[in-house]
Amino acid sequence: MSGHAFKEFKINWGMVIDLDKCTGCGACMTACQVENNIAPMVDASNKMRTLSWMLVFELSNGKPAPEAEVAYLPRPCMQCGHPACVPVCPVVATDKNEEGGIVSQIYPRCIGCRYCMAACPYHARYFNWEDPIFPKGMEKALSPDTSTRPRGVVEKCNFCHTRLMHAKDKARQDGGDPEALAEGAYIPACVEVCPTGAITFGDLKNPEHKVHQLSKSKNAFRLLEKLGLKPQVYYMSNREWVRKLGDNYAAGGKPGAEKKHS
Amino acid sequence: MGLDRRGFVKFVVGGVAGTLFTPVIWKGMDDAAKWSQNWGWIPRLPKGERKAVPALSKLCKSGCAVKVQTVGGAPFAALGNPDNPMSKGGVCPICAGSVQLMYSPARVAGPLKKVGEGKYSPIKWEEAEAMLVEKLTPLKGQDGKIAAISGDETGTANEVLSALLAGLGNASGYCAMPGEMLTATRGVKLMGGAGQPGFDIEGADFVLMIGADALDSWGASVANQKAFAASHPTGEAATARFVYAGPALNNTSGVCDQFVAVPPTATGVFALALANALISVGATCSAPDFADYKALAAKCTPEVFEKATGLKAEVLKDLAGKIKAAKAPLVIPGASFGQGSGALDFVAGASLNVLLGRVGQKGGMTLLPAAPKALSAAADRAEAKDAGSFMAQVATGKAAPAALIVYEANPAYALPQAGDMTKALGNIAFKVAFATYMDETASLADLVLPAPHPYERFDDAMNPYGVAKPTYLAGKPVLAKPVVDAKDPVDVLLAAAGKLGLSLGFETYADVIKAKAKAVGADMDTLTGGAAWTGEPKGGSLSLGAAALAKAPAPKADDKAVALAPLSKLACGTTELACPPADLLTIRDTELKGKDLFVQMNAATAKKLGVAEGNKIKLTGGSGEVKALVHVNEGVAAGTVAMLMGFGHSAWDQYTKGKGDNIFKILTVSDEAGTGMKVWAGSTVTVAKI
Amino acid sequence: MDRALFPEGLERCSFGKFALWLLFITVFLLYGLYAMIVIFAKGIVVTGLDNYFGFGLWITVDLAIIALGAGAFFTGFLRYLLKIDQLANIINLAVIVGFICYSGAMLVLCMDIGQPIRCWFGYWHPNVHSMLTEVIFCITCYCIVLVIEYVPIILEQKQLYRIPFIHHLAHNMHLNMALFAGIGAFLSTFHQGSLGGMYGVLAGRPYAFREGFFIWPWTFFLFVLSAVGCGPIFTVLIATLMEKLTGRKLVDYKTKALMGKIAGTMLTVYIFFKLIDTWAWAHDYLPTTGLTFDQMFYGVIYGKWLMFTEIILCGLVPAIMLITPSIRNNPKMLYTAGILDCIGICLNRYLFTVQTIAIPLLPFDKWQTYAPNWAEWATTGLIVAYGFLVLSLSYRYLPIFPQERAMNK
Repeated sequence: MSGHAFKEFKINWGMVIDLDKCTGCGACMTACQVENNIAPMVDASNKMRTLSWMLVFELSNGKPAPEAEVAYLPRPCMQCGHPACVPVCPVVATDKNEEGGIVSQIYPRCIGCRYCMAACPYHARYFNWEDPIFPKGMEKALSPDTSTRPRGVVEKCNFCHTRLMHAKDKARQDGGDPEALAEGAYIPACVEVCPTGAITFGDLKNPEHKVHQLSKSKNAFRLLEKLGLKPQVYYMSNREWVRKLGDNYAAGGKPGAEKKHS
Repeated sequence: MGLDRRGFVKFVVGGVAGTLFTPVIWKGMDDAAKWSQNWGWIPRLPKGERKAVPALSKLCKSGCAVKVQTVGGAPFAALGNPDNPMSKGGVCPICAGSVQLMYSPARVAGPLKKVGEGKYSPIKWEEAEAMLVEKLTPLKGQDGKIAAISGDETGTANEVLSALLAGLGNASGYCAMPGEMLTATRGVKLMGGAGQPGFDIEGADFVLMIGADALDSWGASVANQKAFAASHPTGEAATARFVYAGPALNNTSGVCDQFVAVPPTATGVFALALANALISVGATCSAPDFADYKALAAKCTPEVFEKATGLKAEVLKDLAGKIKAAKAPLVIPGASFGQGSGALDFVAGASLNVLLGRVGQKGGMTLLPAAPKALSAAADRAEAKDAGSFMAQVATGKAAPAALIVYEANPAYALPQAGDMTKALGNIAFKVAFATYMDETASLADLVLPAPHPYERFDDAMNPYGVAKPTYLAGKPVLAKPVVDAKDPVDVLLAAAGKLGLSLGFETYADVIKAKAKAVGADMDTLTGGAAWTGEPKGGSLSLGAAALAKAPAPKADDKAVALAPLSKLACGTTELACPPADLLTIRDTELKGKDLFVQMNAATAKKLGVAEGNKIKLTGGSGEVKALVHVNEGVAAGTVAMLMGFGHSAWDQYTKGKGDNIFKILTVSDEAGTGMKVWAGSTVTVAKI
Repeated sequence: MDRALFPEGLERCSFGKFALWLLFITVFLLYGLYAMIVIFAKGIVVTGLDNYFGFGLWITVDLAIIALGAGAFFTGFLRYLLKIDQLANIINLAVIVGFICYSGAMLVLCMDIGQPIRCWFGYWHPNVHSMLTEVIFCITCYCIVLVIEYVPIILEQKQLYRIPFIHHLAHNMHLNMALFAGIGAFLSTFHQGSLGGMYGVLAGRPYAFREGFFIWPWTFFLFVLSAVGCGPIFTVLIATLMEKLTGRKLVDYKTKALMGKIAGTMLTVYIFFKLIDTWAWAHDYLPTTGLTFDQMFYGVIYGKWLMFTEIILCGLVPAIMLITPSIRNNPKMLYTAGILDCIGICLNRYLFTVQTIAIPLLPFDKWQTYAPNWAEWATTGLIVAYGFLVLSLSYRYLPIFPQERAMNK
């Protein structure tokens, strides 16, 4: 009963985020907010109520001054291979059923029960606490790509899915294969805007895409790998303390250690 | 009447089935599904043809070359322009949310006339322009009666301002808001050179940033970030090392190979102690003042270094070794918040480049030639007065202008000892503010003239501070008409000049920029199409500035006070722009919580001050005080308290007004020995628990 | 005044006194209704729930009252299918308590979801893999069953019963009661199990997650057992509370002790397996996630004492008390054990709901805490007040307790 069968896809859209290049400037969060029509929040300092599909965490090596170091970790939706959120949704408002492996969220279907939020250990899912009210006039600057969501539904990053649709359309118009997009033909807004190019995006299964190789490098890791959710977002860092913060190693394991159970 | 078991079942089933056959339930359910998605108050998405229009967003200091995405002609997002050699497709966090700022609730919707304390009434443009001319006419030809403060470092609008003032016989009234550019140009002069310094991060294999937050808020940050990215290809070995020496861990240090925690009061000592360490491992140069310099540096012994920074001398030795081993090291001096450091701090840092023989070299420090001017009557950019010094004179009555033109600047908020500055502004009878947003200065002005948003106007950027080569960018409007009743300030000034009987040779800013492009040797259409013009840096050598450095006073020890390190984070806005609504999310809850700003310090400092995490404290310095909550952050240098700037706005909108406190209030201005410059980067404050 | 409506041959307090009592309940009802209106108008932003705690008091209350309401199906099952006739003395109360619990839970769920207008999507767009879908289906169906079981009790009201049609209807419903009890038992077993499964399947939440055999059938039956281990004794506690409030004897102690024995037996089986489950979880499963037992707890608010209170003080202790005849037959001890038992099960539901999601799994994340606010408490109070109202009216006007007349002579 717990064995929900997950589809395997030929294409796995994914990211490799080089944490040694992320300055934590926040451009990705801003671009995400603009691309996805997230209304600005008057008190955005209450992080327990904000909507941040993309969130940059601050990591600390925990050492006292002057040895202290920080790193920044952007957290989009992990688009897990074995998502914890999908099988729990009572109304099929979220699914992982499209080639590419992006976990969808169907806002008109969602009843806002928040079971998926309880399921996601990455806190990638956000409940829309309030209606999207923009200051007067700002609604004229809405992006045509992402529908606005009423309050009471859960929403999350979908790798700017409309951009995938546009890329496929363009491929069709150009006589190409929409199921074999070239690297760079489709990238989410956060990847595009990042001033240091910390995020590499592409098909993890396609050897012609950089992410394919990068995801296999020795410094690559995934968050909470041991839980077995198989995220499609990888991170990499040369700093061991950063890698170590990607998962729990209480049992004495080392970063990058193989997951013990399946 | 009988109802048997069968009859009962029939009754129940029939009743249920009967209800289901009526359309009421199904129609109701269908409608409910639609309503719950499409309530009238949920905004609808725009439709129409989509375009990407190249533009120049000057909301950040250096300007981002972007492609504005439009749908049906209306802009909705700013994405990077990969074809632009400056930003190479990257966008800073401010410009990423730039389109939304067109509709900021703080935008000035039309010309406003002050009718009482804090009260304004909308007026027509004709009336506003007539008022401007009327107020300036009697002051014409009386030097010192008209002043202008510009907050724009790069635009040719400055030439118009300067030429206008000169034409009105007030050439000395032209002031610029403080920034690195002003300090650095003075510093270069002290080193026997001329011009704006540039830093070739792209070509360096070892970059030491002393204070300068080069990968977030200092200089042409996106270009800097791109240069950093190029030397750090993902998945491959890095080709350059980056070291940040500054008062606190910030965005720049987040990606650096090393962070050296240097209190803001010890920047100069750090640089000279490093020079000493370098000389002791064999660094030498042919500068004429090397001997004096060596003697000066020798005074900054490891002991002096340890005392001033609270660090171990090994750090210095290790750093000197690494720099010595590098092929193309580069030192970037600056202040952690992009202003307020003295020319001597610049000289101390920049002299390392001279010592290492890195001036004019690939991956080294360059000097940019003065840019050709569009208006010959305009003064050189470097000749602008420092607005801080000028306002200090106004405060004490040494300067008594009767009219002040404020162009894209917010002196009431963003000058040190902000409280005094606001008062000083009150001494000026007529203030006109060209402002896109109702900021603190506009809220004090007698006449507020709405300026267009960058996507509604022509504008340009010449040599944004930090670029290694002469660089020129220009942009044209994305929208044919501003979304509010705004007029280009330069157009207004040119028209006013005409009415004041002064011909500056142009009628619109667009014409001015065309002339500038021509003078530079660039093609206007190519520039506004999103390209950038670049030239070559000029040659020339610099001295080590030993003579100037010799006048630097020894740092004073004050046990009661702690060093104050203002931190700047681009996403929190600039001195001219409050944090954009789309950037509020990026502020951490360890930086701002509700309306309270956090002051960061390490555990040792907190212990010394007798405060703990979450305590509310009062910081006193300069001519004011600031209240904040304590956040213990081990990334702050010894004996230093760090605080984000960009908060504590009393104007603007619901997104920023009243949030946090303004650190400019507690910065103390002092005179730099030997240069006469006003400095406030090494301010100290006293801390009290409340 | 309303004497004509009283059950045949029974005394009730004066109408004035009853009206005062109703007024007292109404205060809570109105406050709760006000909170409910605010919640529907402004959304659940008015509650204490947040990005980290999508589930809170409401879901805990839902799970807890569904467990406590399990007395209805289990007593029905024993009474009608296993024919333990002595339970007829308390079955009506068990049904009413069950009805209150389930209808209350559904009301809370409607407030809890962000889009109440879409509450029916669970039936229209069901996800067969979701435990919550199963729960929604079973709870609704079982709530209907409880209505069907409750209706004949209402129809037996003295005045109504005189109408021949109603008399026949009630009679026919009674004849079919075994069928409904069977359906009820079947549905309840499913959703009580699924409620456990709801947490057991959360692969990203190590506090609740169980693998393979430990989810099915293990966790399912743990939840079923825990529900039937507290439901019957909760009914007894309600009966006793009603006795205290009315000053009349309603159910004989023998029946109460029998219910205690039933609950105690179930609780004992449950605790036995729960101990094994907890040990296997801490010893085998947790280390594979790189976490330790200690990391599951934090400070006082999410401290280990909660788990020990749940399993030992409010699990093992009442289980032993209830299965030991000498303790069980002492009323004070029986009630004490019953209260401990019910607290233990509520605590279990709370921990699975809140502790599960409070644990920061990302190593760079921090513990967050959750406290329900007035809106959640007020609406929870609404459900309790609603329960008191239904019970008060039922007691005053309906013949619930077959033994009442004999015992109060």
